[in-house]
Amino acid sequence: MDFVSTGGGSLVDNIFLLFNAYDWWVYYSKKEEKNLAKKEREEKMYDQAFEEILFSLDETPIYADSGGDQHNDGRDTNEFGADFETLQGLECLNMEQAKNLLNEHVDQLSSKLHISPSLAKLFLHLNEWNVSAIVTAYSKHTNAFLVDNRVKLAATAALGASAIPSAAACTDILPLSPSSSTSKSSTNASSPISCPVCTHPLPGDHFRSLTCGHSFCQYCWARHFEVQINQGITLDISCMASQCNILVPEALILTLLRPSLHEKYEAFAFRDFVSTHPSLRFCPGPNCSVVMRARESKPKRATCNACGTSFCFQCGIEYHAPTDCVVIKKWLTKCADDSETANYISAHTKDCPKCHICIEKNGGCNHMQCYHCKHEFCWMCLGDWKQHGSEYYECSRYKENPNIGRESAHAQAREALKKYLHYYERWENHAKSLKLESALVDKIKSRIHSKVMTSSGTWIDWQYLIEASTLLAKCRYTLQYTYPYAYYMQSSVSHYYTVISHIIPTGTWIDWQYLIEASTLLAKCRYTLQYTYPYAYYMQSSVSHYYTVISHIIQQYTYPYAYYMESSVSHSRKELFEYQQAQLEAEIENLSWKVERAETTDRGDLENQMDIAEKRRITLLKDFHLSSFSNPTKLDIPPQGGTTVPISTKDSSTASIQSEGEGVRSASMAPLSS
Amino acid sequence: MAATRRLQKELKEMQECGLKSFRDVHTDENNILSWTGLIVPDNPPYNKGAFKIEINFPAEYPFKPPKINFKTKIYHPNIDEKGQVCLPIISAENWKPATKTDQVIQALIALVNDPEPEHPLRADLADEFLKERKKFMKNAEDYTKKHSEKRPSD
Repeated sequence: MDFVSTGGGSLVDNIFLLFNAYDWWVYYSKKEEKNLAKKEREEKMYDQAFEEILFSLDETPIYADSGGDQHNDGRDTNEFGADFETLQGLECLNMEQAKNLLNEHVDQLSSKLHISPSLAKLFLHLNEWNVSAIVTAYSKHTNAFLVDNRVKLAATAALGASAIPSAAACTDILPLSPSSSTSKSSTNASSPISCPVCTHPLPGDHFRSLTCGHSFCQYCWARHFEVQINQGITLDISCMASQCNILVPEALILTLLRPSLHEKYEAFAFRDFVSTHPSLRFCPGPNCSVVMRARESKPKRATCNACGTSFCFQCGIEYHAPTDCVVIKKWLTKCADDSETANYISAHTKDCPKCHICIEKNGGCNHMQCYHCKHEFCWMCLGDWKQHGSEYYECSRYKENPNIGRESAHAQAREALKKYLHYYERWENHAKSLKLESALVDKIKSRIHSKVMTSSGTWIDWQYLIEASTLLAKCRYTLQYTYPYAYYMQSSVSHYYTVISHIIPTGTWIDWQYLIEASTLLAKCRYTLQYTYPYAYYMQSSVSHYYTVISHIIQQYTYPYAYYMESSVSHSRKELFEYQQAQLEAEIENLSWKVERAETTDRGDLENQMDIAEKRRITLLKDFHLSSFSNPTKLDIPPQGGTTVPISTKDSSTASIQSEGEGVRSASMAPLSS
Repeated sequence: MAATRRLQKELKEMQECGLKSFRDVHTDENNILSWTGLIVPDNPPYNKGAFKIEINFPAEYPFKPPKINFKTKIYHPNIDEKGQVCLPIISAENWKPATKTDQVIQALIALVNDPEPEHPLRADLADEFLKERKKFMKNAEDYTKKHSEKRPSD
């Protein structure tokens, strides 16, 4: 915005330069097969491009007039725009408020259709509380609607013809009001009839029937309701006749039921109403009676004001981005089933890969240092930690055995178990780390206390450490949930089409093309996006450090980039995911390591690490979680505006740059405002 | 007890109507909630024998469903080794207070005569029934001859 109009000119130009560099790269890599010398030259080219950008940045007053805009609080919300993980417009209702809300719907429907509130409740319950849909369906095909909603029998073959009036009098077809609920199924009310259920002979006015005409004595009805309610059934209580599915409306139940059970009935019915209402959900917290209300049901994080429980609004279990509701359910079931095998195989301790002493993990960090021989290694893969440091982090990726097809069923089973265990171990490990790190907060607090007591810094100086550990927990949480997602992600080419058709239910070959374009575009845009990090880093850290950082990051990003160009498109999505996951892993490792060992002097470094970890997390979520439910028909392109426009023309590339530019600015604003 | 009057009536009707495929309906003098009877199937491989069953009615009957148990061993996809049977009409969700024991018995006889491998209690037998019908028939017949009750002469 003001950024582009005032100080942005040179930035735009410089990003153009970047794109040119990119185009050259594509050109070269297409023309000749990659050879190492070329790659090195290209990397040098990036270095040059960056030097130029950074040089000009030094002279450009980026922050000239950015004061007072809405990005000032960039750190607190999130740097990429609105907080997309938390469900917006969430209300916490107490039971009374929720009941009033439901009653509003009931009143609305009953006055629109001129039906009793009792019947309106039934319709609403069966039709997701969609008043307008009910009104439309009801006025279009009244008869079919009544049959579908189990209010009227399908066949007009009358059991008690008198009980089914003509369709014209549809508002009166139900025995809702006590006056009409006495069906005189026998001609003479005074002569006793035998009730089919209890076989007792009773006068006719003791009998009640629904629209189906099945007549039973009121005592049997009452008993029937009682038994059903004690089993937790309320709105699904149906007629007592064999194979009759006509539902009993609330009015009749409350007329005949023992008064002592009314409260129980109302409570169960309320629970059932909330469960069928698409925008209401009970808080799953223990002993919490709050009903949460959202404008729409989405798999986002909802947090209860009353008890603080946080959960996925759509499915009601723990928040699980980027994995979706169906998959996480499958995963949790699988873990519950297989946990014993998994527990047996992955023991709680491991041996040091160098001196083979038995080690128990007591911190959240995977970067282990043997207390015996001081060897540093990764807890997950037991490899030397040096290989994890700066290079592409590979430990989170599961490598499938390509010869699997030719091997026996036994080997396949073993491979399947191996694959599951690979993901399960990482999932479990993060869960355990989360637990250990929650204890860390207390440890940090006592450490701060002792530091303050010995006059090394004030409380305010040390606050950042608590922030860092909160962020660490948040990032690790997301990372934990990437593993079920990855487990169910298919990788073989033959499965690719099903994946596509899952994403686009009516997938065609044109969509394929779209995917190829999209993933190239995605790579391009992400490439630019990645470069916002060194930019941001430079803005907030001392100039003397920047060169090493930049060259380090460039080195990192050339690898996935090369991956893109070389691998077939069918693999790109999974690879992108694995790449982002690995990035998140690596950053969380760094963060965890730093948090556990932080001193006051490390503050700037740690805050950079926090920024980077959070950005990795958000990028991953935006690509693999948000896109799946906000844009189900489109391909999974990150929601940044720039990705949907082709880069080839000048105008559109400016558009893309603008959006990236905002990312840069808001990210870099953070330290200034703090 | 609400159940007593209805059960007495049902028992009387059952004994009077004289079903060929369900006979010898007896109840404990002191406990009308427990019945026994003999299932006499018509279809092979079960038509070589008869099968004793027990019907137990809950005190809340007819608002809660009865339970059925086979007292004679049977080689059947829908009846397990303990004699438990999976019959939708008497499951808690489907039960209707107006359903009569006579209807339950009819449903049971139909199930014995024509197994329903789609919702088995014994997956191994259902598998055999679907894939190796001949083998299943032979096994079931042998089993029937070995374990089942004698069929009534008439």
